[in-house]
Amino acid sequence: MNTAAPALEISGLTKSFGTTRALEEVDLVVESGTVHCVLGENGAGKSTLCHVVGGSVAPDAGGLRLYGSPYAPRRPADALAAGIAMVHQHFSLVPTLTVGENMRLLRLRDLPRRVARVREEYGLELDLDARVSELPVGVRQRTEIVKALLREPRLLVLDEPTGVLGPAGTDALLATCRRIAESGHAVVLVTHKLGEVARAGDAATVLRGGRVSGGGPLAELPPERLVPLMIGRPAGSLDAGLAGTIGLAADGDSPEAGASGSGKTRAGGPEPAGRALAVGTAEPGGRAEPGGKAAARVTQALRLRDVSVRRADGTSALDEVSLDVGYGEIVGIAGVEGNGQSELMALLGGSLAPVAGRVELDGRDLTRAAPRERSRAGLGVVPEDRLHEGCVPQLRVADNLFLGRLDRFRRHGVLLDRRAMDRAADSVLTGHGIRADGPGALMSSLSGGNQQKVVLARELALDPLICLAAAQPTRGLDIGAVGAVHSRIRDAAAAGTGVLVVSSELSELLVLCDRITVAYRGKLLGPVDPAEPDARERIGALMLGARASRPGPENTGHTPEALR
Amino acid sequence: MSAVVEELVSGGVRLAVPLLLASSGELLSERAGVLNLSVEGMMLTGAFAGATGALASGNAGVGVLAALAAGLLFAALQALLSVVLRADQIVTGITANVLALGATTYGSRVFFGDGAADSVPGFDPIPVPGLHSVPVLGPALFEQTALGYAAFAVAAVLALGFSRRTSWGLAVDAIGEDATTADRCGLPVRAVRFAAVLLTGAVSGLAGAQLALSEVHAFSDNITGGIGYLAVVAVIAGRWRAWPTLVACLFFGVAQSLQFAAPALGLHLSAPLLTTLPYVIALLAVSGLVGRSRAPSGLTVPFLRGA
Amino acid sequence: MSPPPLTLSAPAPALRTAHTRIAPVLRHPVTVGVLAVVLAGAVGLGLVKGAGTGPAVAWDALVEGMFGSSYAVGSSLNSAAVLALIATGFTVAHRAGLVNVGGEGQLCAGGLAAAAVGTTLPAGVPAALGVPLVLVAGCVAGGAWAGIAGRLRARRGTSEVITTLLLNFVGVGLVSVAVHEEALLRQPVTSSETLPQSAPLPEGARLPLIGGVESPATAIVVIAVVAAVVTGVVLRHTAVGLRLRSVGHSPAASARLGLPVVRLETGSLAFAGAAAGLAGAALVAIAPYVLAEHFSSGYGFSGLVVGLLARGSLTAVAAVSLLFGFLTNGGINLQLAAGVPASSVQIVQSLLVLFVAAAMFTTTRNGRAS
Repeated sequence: MNTAAPALEISGLTKSFGTTRALEEVDLVVESGTVHCVLGENGAGKSTLCHVVGGSVAPDAGGLRLYGSPYAPRRPADALAAGIAMVHQHFSLVPTLTVGENMRLLRLRDLPRRVARVREEYGLELDLDARVSELPVGVRQRTEIVKALLREPRLLVLDEPTGVLGPAGTDALLATCRRIAESGHAVVLVTHKLGEVARAGDAATVLRGGRVSGGGPLAELPPERLVPLMIGRPAGSLDAGLAGTIGLAADGDSPEAGASGSGKTRAGGPEPAGRALAVGTAEPGGRAEPGGKAAARVTQALRLRDVSVRRADGTSALDEVSLDVGYGEIVGIAGVEGNGQSELMALLGGSLAPVAGRVELDGRDLTRAAPRERSRAGLGVVPEDRLHEGCVPQLRVADNLFLGRLDRFRRHGVLLDRRAMDRAADSVLTGHGIRADGPGALMSSLSGGNQQKVVLARELALDPLICLAAAQPTRGLDIGAVGAVHSRIRDAAAAGTGVLVVSSELSELLVLCDRITVAYRGKLLGPVDPAEPDARERIGALMLGARASRPGPENTGHTPEALR
Repeated sequence: MSAVVEELVSGGVRLAVPLLLASSGELLSERAGVLNLSVEGMMLTGAFAGATGALASGNAGVGVLAALAAGLLFAALQALLSVVLRADQIVTGITANVLALGATTYGSRVFFGDGAADSVPGFDPIPVPGLHSVPVLGPALFEQTALGYAAFAVAAVLALGFSRRTSWGLAVDAIGEDATTADRCGLPVRAVRFAAVLLTGAVSGLAGAQLALSEVHAFSDNITGGIGYLAVVAVIAGRWRAWPTLVACLFFGVAQSLQFAAPALGLHLSAPLLTTLPYVIALLAVSGLVGRSRAPSGLTVPFLRGA
Repeated sequence: MSPPPLTLSAPAPALRTAHTRIAPVLRHPVTVGVLAVVLAGAVGLGLVKGAGTGPAVAWDALVEGMFGSSYAVGSSLNSAAVLALIATGFTVAHRAGLVNVGGEGQLCAGGLAAAAVGTTLPAGVPAALGVPLVLVAGCVAGGAWAGIAGRLRARRGTSEVITTLLLNFVGVGLVSVAVHEEALLRQPVTSSETLPQSAPLPEGARLPLIGGVESPATAIVVIAVVAAVVTGVVLRHTAVGLRLRSVGHSPAASARLGLPVVRLETGSLAFAGAAAGLAGAALVAIAPYVLAEHFSSGYGFSGLVVGLLARGSLTAVAAVSLLFGFLTNGGINLQLAAGVPASSVQIVQSLLVLFVAAAMFTTTRNGRAS
């Protein structure tokens, strides 16, 4: 092995899917002993790059070299044999097997010794007998990382590994990355969060639209320079909410980093100011009025009382949760994923029935109502999984908009009036600024942002609209679409609709919401007023299960639970 | 009375042997995510090739080899369709059975003419000294032909060698449950699935030979008459686990043999009703009305690597 | 300005990416069809030669068996109608994302009910009453039989592929039981030669002929045509069709959008069963007007294959049904007139299906089998 050669060298990599160019002439050099960050918005080609390195996708053109020797994987097994370990964005664990059995699938010699070594070196503990399907996402992520480390890889590739981690888990993961790099190996950290880059990376390459838009040692690339490379316009043009969604709010992804003093960088000045500004713009004068009205009325737009939900395996997903969303109020639910948020959304959408408790909309009991009745009553739901629950990608845009209301479009009594549907859809497309090839375009042909706008437009078109519940409304969207979605949500609230936003992007919630509660192990903690100066720190503490009344420094000594 | 019970049990085991052989392969294949409805066709081709080989060479052993080869060849066709070309497993399975039925019927017209396949060289029972005189179980288990004992051995080796505790068994389960993950763990998904189908073909071919060379020493049109489907059903009724599948095979065998024993037991049982019983039981098992049931998540879902 | 997302300029169907390696020309349905016919035909020729018959003789016998007489045409049309009914039902269920493998069992249930109703009708029942009663009985029984699978799916999440498959064997078995037991449907046993089959249906319960006395073609041909046309219109031009499609593509999203997913799924499966049951009733109400063991003779499986080959198009359902219907009848004459085993046609037909399946069914089912 030539020690002078870089760990990974990619040159002229090109890959198309159909007519879409996912990667075009990408060059990338990862030096050994470093953590190399690959940055870019969603859809920039990061995941495709990972798949090529991991051997799941064969490139159309271009070459790879691994520690100096040519490397052309044709299947994932080739990558593993070459000493590359991947941690995928979507877990690669067989859910019906135990953790230990998943490890045994790797067919490594003296597995127990390797497990022990990873435990000692990285402090990563695992219960080998636990069944994967019964583990919380944070633990699954840890399992995934241990699985990768068991191979003692020369190169570790992590694709968006922090999406499901809380602040503490993220910290521990980044520390692990540094340790691997310091032992002489190389790490490729793929992310869209600048905060992580600044804390863990040595060098970065930025992708935009499948091409390399820039890169270099991070010492020479402060966030102000990375942002324009990522989004193609200057950082100053973003409002704080948008900046938050890409983790631009400096230490934004590590709320307790400041408190524990472990943060590598802590950009002081601009961030709080930006937030203050954003909070100001987020609350137009009109907002106070519907809120005031709400105070006068006894009912709430949405009211949950002592709701409990169990998972299929009998464990508790939501534990006597109560929540009120007033008319015209935007309530946020923060928290590490897997703490009951998905079940909460399923409960609101009507696909999951609670074992106890009550769900009321505008004073009306909807606990066991079918999805159709909920829509009629005025509860709009924007589900987290847009492509599987939010819309039917194989149908036309017009079909997706009106599927629940087809009875309105009748011809000769029985036939479907497609022309009337298209006309109606056309006006929705125009009104919401949705870019599509007309109402007849397939939903799958739209970009993620435009798909989300269609889903949102459909739910906002409910009449009446009492409450809108949206999960991860801006996940995977580019900056422009994020702005559009945020302003639609604000407009709805201004018109008196109660809004519930579930998001793992704390910065997004901070600029959007009037009140934030935190999901932790099936309970809702808080609420926290985002206007308070220490809101971010208090929410970070709550995400780890601290009591709302004990904010701040007391958490300093907390062991980062999610990863230990 | 005890003679009747003995007859019932040994008849049941005799009917269960080909079933057991075929299901031990099919179980593995389904755990790896491939549903072979074509077990019926594999067995039928095996029986035909076995009879042809034995008849042509005058040696039953050659017949077994021919049956093995025919089963493998037929399975290779099924594997090509369902693993490599990712064709629909249900339609190809059912159609492959029609093909096998057509081809063997045609073949027996052309090769055997009339009556030639009524008597082919076959295997005779070899009683195990001592053990075969154990009441009830003796005649049932220890008066098999050489092929019958081989069937027990093959089924046992497959069940133990591919149990969840072995790394092979674990790999098979992972591939059937989540092929993408298995691929990312470096497991050769398609190769394992292809091999599992081939294995099903081999054991089903043997099962066919058992029918034609051990049981009746003859080949007749559609000699399997649905036993192959029954083997698939046994796997379903056994809820994709080895022991319950074995029990299902034995039970199905006894249910069949009850048809013949019923008059002696003084029971009036409709023969077609007994034939139908296994399917009803499988239906109850798979519906979770008897125990909990879960098919491998990837069953009938072809694997395609991609982003 | 951020750059426009890549996908906007190039709307590509999402499934296209799946097959890039084999040239698209080879995958074109027409190419596939022609190649499959040529290959299967070549094998057929070999089989004819293998049986020691001249190709010309065999061809004449085949054509004679298909189109040679109004009898041949009539019985081919009857077979095609039965296949088309089953395939139409299959297509409706498939639109909702369900795979109905249970045509054979539903056919049996339909035939059983039709025979039970038909044989209890008085001898002098008018056709205007008898025929509809028999057909409706078949429909209801077939629908109910499929309904078992639908209910198990809705209640316990059991895959309809497996349950309908198993119900086939149960259905076939029940027909056997019924025609073997005098207490059930077996005709009175007068001698040891009495066949295990039901008594014949009375005059007024038999399907009327539509092609004159020469041709056995019955009203079921008309019924099948009407069913296919109406189904085609409903699937393509009505709200129900769109809802079924939506459920077929994404049950989760459809539920979110307020569609009654379970009802649509169960309903479509019951419809498939009813269509197959109707076909079963027709088989009983066509000469020799009895329910016999193996009366279904694999029609249910063939109908499933027709449905899969047609890939959702009802025009294709009609075309493939006719092809299969005529080929089967031609094959019978092939054996009678030319001495080539009828199983040759079975072989050619199954090869045809396998060729087409290999080329075209690179998984259209969205992994919902489990």
